[in-house]
Amino acid sequence: MDINQVKKQWQTLSTTIEDIDYAVSGHDYNICLERDKVRDFATLMLEEGFYLVDLMAVHVTPAIEVVYQFAHFETRCRVLARAFVDDNSEIATIADIYQGANWHEREARDLHGVVFVDHPYLFPLILAEEDVDLKPLLKKEGTLKDIDAVRRKPPEPAPEPKTKVKPEGAEAKPEAAKSQEQS
Amino acid sequence: MAMDVETLEDSRHHRYVLNMGPQHPSTHGVLRILLELEGEYAMELLPVLGYGHRCHEKIAEHKPVKSFMPNTARMDYLGALIYNHGYAHLLEKAAGVEVPERAEYIRVITSELNRIQSHLLWYGAYLLDLGAFTPIMYAFDDREHILDILEDVTGSRLTYCYFRVGGVSKDIDDKFVTSTRAFIKRLRSRFPMYEDLVNGNIILQKRLNDVGELTPQLCARYGVTGPLLRGTGVDYDMRRAEPYSIYPQFDFEIPTETKGDCMASFLVRFREMEQSLRIIEQALDGLPEGPVMAAKVPKKLKIPAGDYNASVEAPRGELSYYLVSDGSDVPYRLKVRTPSYSNLSVVPEMCQGMLLSDVVSAMGALDLVIPEIDR
Repeated sequence: MDINQVKKQWQTLSTTIEDIDYAVSGHDYNICLERDKVRDFATLMLEEGFYLVDLMAVHVTPAIEVVYQFAHFETRCRVLARAFVDDNSEIATIADIYQGANWHEREARDLHGVVFVDHPYLFPLILAEEDVDLKPLLKKEGTLKDIDAVRRKPPEPAPEPKTKVKPEGAEAKPEAAKSQEQS
Repeated sequence: MAMDVETLEDSRHHRYVLNMGPQHPSTHGVLRILLELEGEYAMELLPVLGYGHRCHEKIAEHKPVKSFMPNTARMDYLGALIYNHGYAHLLEKAAGVEVPERAEYIRVITSELNRIQSHLLWYGAYLLDLGAFTPIMYAFDDREHILDILEDVTGSRLTYCYFRVGGVSKDIDDKFVTSTRAFIKRLRSRFPMYEDLVNGNIILQKRLNDVGELTPQLCARYGVTGPLLRGTGVDYDMRRAEPYSIYPQFDFEIPTETKGDCMASFLVRFREMEQSLRIIEQALDGLPEGPVMAAKVPKKLKIPAGDYNASVEAPRGELSYYLVSDGSDVPYRLKVRTPSYSNLSVVPEMCQGMLLSDVVSAMGALDLVIPEIDR
């Protein structure tokens, strides 16, 4: 697998490709997809020999986000791809491309109510049949966060030398100590 | 007189549906498989899950990250320490906690003991599924030694909660080292006996060879990992592919086979036990002195906003924790990717058209732990 070649192909499909630090996040690439490009992306990943690690949903505003994780058997290349569902909580299935996604999609339907269009058998898997409308992992009012609140912040600039901020530092100290209570 | 199925216009009329489970002994837990049978052949299989669903991911969203550690052990009761390890690894990575070297050594030693224990139980139970009663007695005899060793240091025998963010809860003593060394010697001396007793047995050969064949492509489509994947010839092991902890320091092999059938994964697991012993031996030799817990771990562990992933090699394959944090000490979303979930999803394709007795062979080779599937 030639990663540069693959990256070129990703660029034709995705809106943004972000190289992220594996040591911090555990992923090499973060890719934001348009909803209608999900199937093309999955086909491409299968051709390049990636396997499907996981598929899950995260409830944020503006819409539920479906997160796909891929990795490769030969080289370390962990890819995170994400796409938002539409207003009816719908998104295309990839279960006919990656058959392993079948169960993951059924689980996401149980827990978040995401409807995977053209899924072969979107029947409750983890939850019981009568709990089909429960959607237990949907966030309630007040706990639902915006997508920016759960995105990684760019690293803060290095703190200025201590002598300069001494008066402010003395004020901030009790609060800092509170949040960083030692065990 | 037997019915001549071939002469019928549509043999589907002569199919019948049979429930295998949720209490069937060879499903090793509350798993139900709807079998559509034609005579003794399973034509369609539909696994039905969720009997043991305990909402672990929902629980995770309601309490501080550190307090989720005991829950991880309840998912895979056979690989509890490795589930601990993955979760501790995730939080240490996310919060930037340094782990003392001695703690990492202890983690590796106990994790590998846990892996051997899991493989021994699978070994005994799998052969029991196939009708051989005696091996489970020997396997449980050996397994008991590991449980005793781990009980002394962790305080529990099955659902361990021994690892902490920043280290382990208790240091090991000389007794642990002596008894672990004695155990290594003991298990090594038992391997030839296992091989004589079981591996060359003609009934086992007939039951496992050419049954439930997998290919690397099939594994990629379903996300099958672990010994099943290594049985197809792919040397993919998280300890080597995405090294974590101190595994890169040790010299060990990743056993592989090429055929991808039940026999291949059987042999891979068997040889993995020997490799785990090698790792433990090296870790005991190089065990450094020092603290077993990081000095400064905040009581309230705040995870900076963003998403984090940590993958480790569980006895059944790749275990991944995926954490979405909003900057507080409670996860916004925690997803656990358990290996058995993906491994079981291959069953409808793998077992289609198989003899019912071969379905038992093939399912046993998956080494299923149902609580980690249901979570």
